[in-house]
Amino acid sequence: MKLGAVAHTLRLEFLVDAAPDTEVRDGYVSDLLSDVLAHAEPGDLWLTHQRHLNVVAVGKLREVAGIVFVRGLRPNPEVIQKAREEGVNLLVSQDDAFHTAGKLHRLLFP
Amino acid sequence: MRWFRADLHIHSALSPCGSLEMSPRRIVEEARRAGLDLIAVCDHNAGENGKYVRKVAQGFPEVLMGMEIQTAEEVEILALFAEEKACLSLQEEFYALLPQIRNDPELFGDQLVVDAEDEVVRELEKLLLVPVPLSLAEAVERVWAREGLVIPAHVDRVPGGVLGVLGLLPPGEWPAVEISPWMEEGEAVRRWPELGGRRVFRGSDAHYPWEVGRAWTDLYLRTPSFTDLLWAVQGKAGRLVRPSAPWKEAS
Repeated sequence: MKLGAVAHTLRLEFLVDAAPDTEVRDGYVSDLLSDVLAHAEPGDLWLTHQRHLNVVAVGKLREVAGIVFVRGLRPNPEVIQKAREEGVNLLVSQDDAFHTAGKLHRLLFP
Repeated sequence: MRWFRADLHIHSALSPCGSLEMSPRRIVEEARRAGLDLIAVCDHNAGENGKYVRKVAQGFPEVLMGMEIQTAEEVEILALFAEEKACLSLQEEFYALLPQIRNDPELFGDQLVVDAEDEVVRELEKLLLVPVPLSLAEAVERVWAREGLVIPAHVDRVPGGVLGVLGLLPPGEWPAVEISPWMEEGEAVRRWPELGGRRVFRGSDAHYPWEVGRAWTDLYLRTPSFTDLLWAVQGKAGRLVRPSAPWKEAS
């Protein structure tokens, strides 16, 4: 499913819509970037509380479909700027990680 | 110049996770036992016991003021200072910012300020084992503003290590890093090539008396002082840094 459609259904807000046509294949939930580097797969929609600038580099390296900050958390402008430069999709979910992941799972694997 | 032995990561009874036996007198006793020339007491988001450790040690060993700051990203850094005032004012600033979570000593352990006579001065009520609500960059700024030295703590470790938590060394100046007591230096550099060319420290991260000096850093200095340490970190004036062999748990 395309990221734009996922965002619409889950009511995710785009902070950076670098490539909304990206295919979301699966999801990954983690706040430890070393864990994401080791285990996230290309095409995963990555849900996190971590808002450090490094999320952009890690997301790009792992070729995730996008990074979703959960529970309404918003990164600082520097992170948004960097994501724009690197072409990494950034989104915000008002739901917490559990509910965001639950809804995403239901949508991707009905 | 000669080699001095330094352990810059020692917890005291002020850390909830630190043993109650870690009083200033006991820490100095253990540091002398371990042959340490330079130490720093770095409690979680606090540094107050350092001044009593200093008083007990009387320069033997030399004692730097310090704390282990936990940032909003849940990354831990060692902040070291020459001046008591610099460290204590930062503790005060952080304490005001910490969330209103009361420490439950039964659950987390006591947070005690203990003086040079082993008497309890006071107890810190807010839980120190939580992040200060400042980003890594903001915390580093506040340390630098007080002419302090920043060394990211046990960078390889999850939780708390900058590489473990943030995956990569973030932009910024990181001339020195600390690796875990048990981490092989070569292995760390292989796994994170970005560590190459930086000064690598090792600290004991002691929470119990017998852990003091279980791992350390040899420093080639003129005197075991803050200024000489700073030069060593900057690779200036022939000062050198060499971590001890990794600590191996007795089987």
